Amino acid sequence: MQKSRSLAIVFVAPALIVLTGILGWPLVSAVLLSMQDVRTIGSAGQWIGLHNYQAVLSNQSFWMAVAMSIIWVVANAAAQTALALITALTLNQNFPGVRIVRTWVILTWIVPTVVVVIIWRWLFSTSGGMINPLLAQAGMIDRPIGFFSTPWTAMATLIFINSWRWFPFIALMMLAGLTRIPSDLYEAARIDGANGWRSFTRITWPLLAPTLGVLTVVGTLLSFNVFDIIWLMTAGGPAGGTRTLPIIIYETAFKGYKLSEAATMSVLATILLMAFALLASRTLMREDDR
Amino acid sequence: MNNRILGLLFGACLTMSFDAMAAPVEVTLWHMEQPPHRVARIQEIIDAFNAAHPDIKVKQEPQNWGEVYAKAPAALAAGAGPDMLFAIPDFTPVLKNIGALTSVSDFVGELDKEHHFVKSAVQSYSYDGGIWAVPLYNMAMNLWYRKSVLDAAGLKVPETWSDWKAASEKLSTNGVFGMGLPANKQLYTDQTIYSVMVNGGATEIFNEDGSFRFNNPQTVAALDYYSSLQKLSPPDSTSWTWGEAEACFVSKSCGMIMQFSVISSYDTQGGGDPADLGVAAIPHADGETGHNTIAYANAVMLLSKDDAKRKASEEFVRYLLQPETYGKFLNMEPGLFMPVTEDGAKSESFWSDPMVQKYRSQVETIIANSQNGKLFGFTSGRTFPSIAAVSAQNVIAETLQMIVVGGKTAADAVAAGQDRMVEVAK
Repeated sequence: MQKSRSLAIVFVAPALIVLTGILGWPLVSAVLLSMQDVRTIGSAGQWIGLHNYQAVLSNQSFWMAVAMSIIWVVANAAAQTALALITALTLNQNFPGVRIVRTWVILTWIVPTVVVVIIWRWLFSTSGGMINPLLAQAGMIDRPIGFFSTPWTAMATLIFINSWRWFPFIALMMLAGLTRIPSDLYEAARIDGANGWRSFTRITWPLLAPTLGVLTVVGTLLSFNVFDIIWLMTAGGPAGGTRTLPIIIYETAFKGYKLSEAATMSVLATILLMAFALLASRTLMREDDR
Repeated sequence: MNNRILGLLFGACLTMSFDAMAAPVEVTLWHMEQPPHRVARIQEIIDAFNAAHPDIKVKQEPQNWGEVYAKAPAALAAGAGPDMLFAIPDFTPVLKNIGALTSVSDFVGELDKEHHFVKSAVQSYSYDGGIWAVPLYNMAMNLWYRKSVLDAAGLKVPETWSDWKAASEKLSTNGVFGMGLPANKQLYTDQTIYSVMVNGGATEIFNEDGSFRFNNPQTVAALDYYSSLQKLSPPDSTSWTWGEAEACFVSKSCGMIMQFSVISSYDTQGGGDPADLGVAAIPHADGETGHNTIAYANAVMLLSKDDAKRKASEEFVRYLLQPETYGKFLNMEPGLFMPVTEDGAKSESFWSDPMVQKYRSQVETIIANSQNGKLFGFTSGRTFPSIAAVSAQNVIAETLQMIVVGGKTAADAVAAGQDRMVEVAK
């Protein structure tokens, strides 16, 4: 027994070492970089200890970016969960063409980000875009709306676009969870006189909860790290209204030429995300035990 | 037997040395002229150069402005950088500060004797006792309008800020925005704001000692004026880059815009009537005289430390600036890139392009306007490294956003803008 365990460790060790190197080395590098004063890539830096942490933690822009990231994550989670749940429940029904719809529903997710950005920028534009004229024709507005003209409208528009892009992927994950629910449970409920809403609250929701829990953790981590759509659409503007943590980290590193300060922000963001992941995993495990 | 082996070895050595002699020197050019037609035109020039210089092989690798500020230092640090890299003035200090540049004063001097550079183009790259890049082409901001639209409104081409505002207000009717001005935190907005600033006496943002003098009454007046004019722009102009402004003008949604050139898009999508396309100098403040503008002298940095590669790079730049090649190079985007050499400005290869011929009067106006070009941080003959961070972080545009989006007064925003400059310069 002891021998076979040792043998197993020997076999697993190379993969573990490679994995630790791949995951661990960038983290260690970032921590080391955060304790120096490197400005640009390739330049040398002095060891300054925790000075960058002090500077970042007392920087109002950093905390604004943390707040923006939290708003971004929570709003995306809410919008995507709602849209995905409706879509998954619809796709879980049997109707003609459901297999085709299940395949093509991921279309928005497979479109490259740059294409998504170009399409939506054009649609929302006040010069030749389609949305403003449609709203005007419907009598809802009398002058064009600048969807990216104020911090809040820009954030709301970005959340809409990002949710539009990601909800089909989450819907498919939910659909996988829904198909695992035995159909005889619904049948028994129907015989007992339960209506659709009661079946949903008593069967679907409780049995889907573990899938939703995992999706919440993964979705939060993915949403938190979204950079491309925000950068390409608004670059964090207007007036910093959509400057989330990944945006401020990029700006600090590559526009402000403060590589070490950006590394400090990255380390802090990693700690924040790890804490969240740990907390969420424990909660999920506790739910599973129950 | 031994003789035969020796003979074979000698033959092999001879072949190797001939191979080594025959192998051309390979040099890589990074540029940020990404549109496919520009890449194709540069490739045509490279192919012609390579054919005429069998000992040199130039290859291009197009990059984009959004990434190159981060990518170039990283590539150079990894020993995988280009041998030649296109630049705008505020990009050069970034590479100079990491020791990637050596002065090209002698080479620029040699080229100047032959082609006579526009002085302001060289000035943007001349500081700290050296010249850090070879000027290649100029871009200057202009005011674009449709003559028929101004005529229909009974307006003359605006000369002063009062004329400009009055014209913009009069053109703002029937869903048309009188003046399309960006208010994005982006380079285009930096460029349009500075074009207004230099016409209101707010040219310098640095004092002689390198401290900032952004917070001054002229800058406040310029920003105040700009923000009042910006109110006549489309609501989404807070997220505009160059393309959206051009689209607004071409689609007739904007009466006037500030842009380097709209010739290509106007010709293909805006009717293409050269008689109706108007271009003028940026209006100046009431009481000021003479028009100024922002001008970007684009250049090429020679990065290779290897002597053979550096000489090959110089040879390519020499070829590029030859009048018979130069016009072809500039017309990769007709009407946008203006010559920085005297003989280039007269060259047949420049003026014979069909698009340049069609819009000759507009191109002549752009060249004339570019003679009064200035660039923030590069006006005093001294350049401070902090300009790279100020420019890269678009602090001037950020200051405008404090007024347009944040609702601050111009005075408060400019004061905050100066504080921000100090912060990013640390």
